[in-house]
Amino acid sequence: MPARIPEFALLEKYGIELIPYGIAKNEKEAAKIAKKLGYPVALKIISTEIVHKTDFHAVKVGLKNEERMLAAYEDIMENVKGHKVTGMLVQRMARKGLELIIGGKKDSQFGHMVVLGLGGVYVEVFRDVSARICPIKRQDVKEMLLELRSNPLIMGVRGMKPIDLDALELLMVKVCRMMLEEDVLEMDLNPVIFDEHGYDIVDVRLRRD
Amino acid sequence: MREDVKNLKSVFEPSSIAVIGASPTTGKLGNVVLKNILDSNFEGKVYPVNPKYQNVLGLKCAPDVHSIDGKPDLAIFAIPAELIPDVMEQCGKKGVKGAIVLSAGFGEIGRKDLDQKLAAIVRKYKIALIGPNCLGALNPANRVDTLFFPFYKLGRPRIGDISFVTQSGAVGSCIVDMAAYFGIGFAKFVSYGNGLTLDESDIIEYFGADEHTKQILLYLEGTKDGRKLLEVMKKVNKRKPIIALKAGKGAGASKAAMSHTGNLAGNYTAYQAAFRQAKAIEVNSLAELFHAVNAFSQPFPKGNRVAVLTDGGGLGVLTADALEAESMRLAELSPATVKVIKSILPPYGNVGNPIDIIADSGPDQYRKALDALLADDGVDTIIVIVLFQAPALDSSILDIIVTASDQRKKPIFTVAVGGEYTNESRKVLDRYGVPSYDSPDFAVKALKRFTDYGSFLSKKKK
Repeated sequence: MPARIPEFALLEKYGIELIPYGIAKNEKEAAKIAKKLGYPVALKIISTEIVHKTDFHAVKVGLKNEERMLAAYEDIMENVKGHKVTGMLVQRMARKGLELIIGGKKDSQFGHMVVLGLGGVYVEVFRDVSARICPIKRQDVKEMLLELRSNPLIMGVRGMKPIDLDALELLMVKVCRMMLEEDVLEMDLNPVIFDEHGYDIVDVRLRRD
Repeated sequence: MREDVKNLKSVFEPSSIAVIGASPTTGKLGNVVLKNILDSNFEGKVYPVNPKYQNVLGLKCAPDVHSIDGKPDLAIFAIPAELIPDVMEQCGKKGVKGAIVLSAGFGEIGRKDLDQKLAAIVRKYKIALIGPNCLGALNPANRVDTLFFPFYKLGRPRIGDISFVTQSGAVGSCIVDMAAYFGIGFAKFVSYGNGLTLDESDIIEYFGADEHTKQILLYLEGTKDGRKLLEVMKKVNKRKPIIALKAGKGAGASKAAMSHTGNLAGNYTAYQAAFRQAKAIEVNSLAELFHAVNAFSQPFPKGNRVAVLTDGGGLGVLTADALEAESMRLAELSPATVKVIKSILPPYGNVGNPIDIIADSGPDQYRKALDALLADDGVDTIIVIVLFQAPALDSSILDIIVTASDQRKKPIFTVAVGGEYTNESRKVLDRYGVPSYDSPDFAVKALKRFTDYGSFLSKKKK
């Protein structure tokens, strides 16, 4: 049984696709996975003891070839020395595009809800989000988009193409289903990077208790 | 609908009322309540109940509920909390179907035991219970009035088609008083306090089915069951607009959340989401609540194209700015309308939209312009700005606006900014069902909400 990331597995159960990845136990496996995914790749440590991976310098991105990947692997292992490590996450590099946040939480009065907004580093700056109580339909997502100040970015501004709205709507509906059926208490997919062809889910945070 | 919810009919339309704890002593709750019921000319039977008295305010007083010579529909409780469960049991046995418990001293001070005891009895007999710890109910049409505020201090609204649900008695009473002052009519009012067995959702459901209610106002600080509230709002708001004011917006956002989402989406976010999902009309202040309420006296517009008719250029520009900010459109006038406007303007006048008919214009110019705009298919809504201060206008302008509005072809909103004379004039418009606003942005914001709700309704019908 290969090592698994429980959050990833949960998303996959609901047909929510993550950016292609593999989990490596050692450098040799990492090289094999990276070759399959295609360079450039990103490496991230998998460890229950390390929550804020960047603080530990346990994330390396944009690794263009095997040589650099292996060097980065070594660096990361050095940086997390003394901590219990499950493995190394090897991810294909995410596409360039619009960073959105898709989140969920369980409200004490209304139950599970989903949140959609401008993601990445802008999340806390603009706090531009729209929320709905689960379950939702695709039409609800269309209405949520209209509530966002960043709507023009999503719909395409100054010659930019609109993001893949179809994929976004389906993703939101799936996330709602997962929130309800798995009784998720808190969740962030941030960022989810969209372009006109689809999206890449780069990171997941999730709490179920 | 649950049986006890249906029984709210006994609360709002009782044929007889028992006042538990009726008292001859001025200032006592049981005195004010009984006095108000008598003073509001309630037409049914009134039974004071109190073992201490033979007569109260000229009525025969029964020592207990069992001894009442007749069967009251509604019992109003103005006795200490401890005594209420036993008397409620008697009421149940007697066949009472509606109860209002004004008294405090239950769950809100930690007496969960009393809550449980009372709830069990009320549920057993399927009694519709308002309260405890509340202001009670008002139904101007049936002259039911359990509000324990003296008439000379707190006005009572006229008969109308707005029903109002509020948790808070204080905010509720202020809104009742303001509605009376502004001439806004109420179908029903209820302050449900602790909402022990009937909560806001149950009452909204009842108002949804009530033929006298055309519009529902909701003041909410919190809910115990958000899911239920969302479902009921979704169901009812399709038929009648729900205008909601949520207080306590800051509470609930947890700074300790592990996720961005937990940090961004506080408890109010969930309320906001629910209002949006139900397409209910959320307002952010008491002023906005009244602004929105006012709008609903008008027929819904077919679209968002607005004609602005004004005798003051500046207010026209402010209105145009407000329309732009709310993504409403200035209508393009038809050649026929342009012709009419040209005919009433001096030769140097410019015809555009906003239509500035300048301060020399009198009521007749307004009438001609309004007729043209009502006939213009490119105009969905008319905002009429009136500088009541202008010497060319006399009070006949009010008649002209009301007459245009009474055709019910298109919504007409009025804006008049000024002092006492202007506001007295506005009050006349409001009383005749023409919404008036003392600032262009208030009018436009209300119009936007009204237009959005109208388009939601017409989509639903399709």
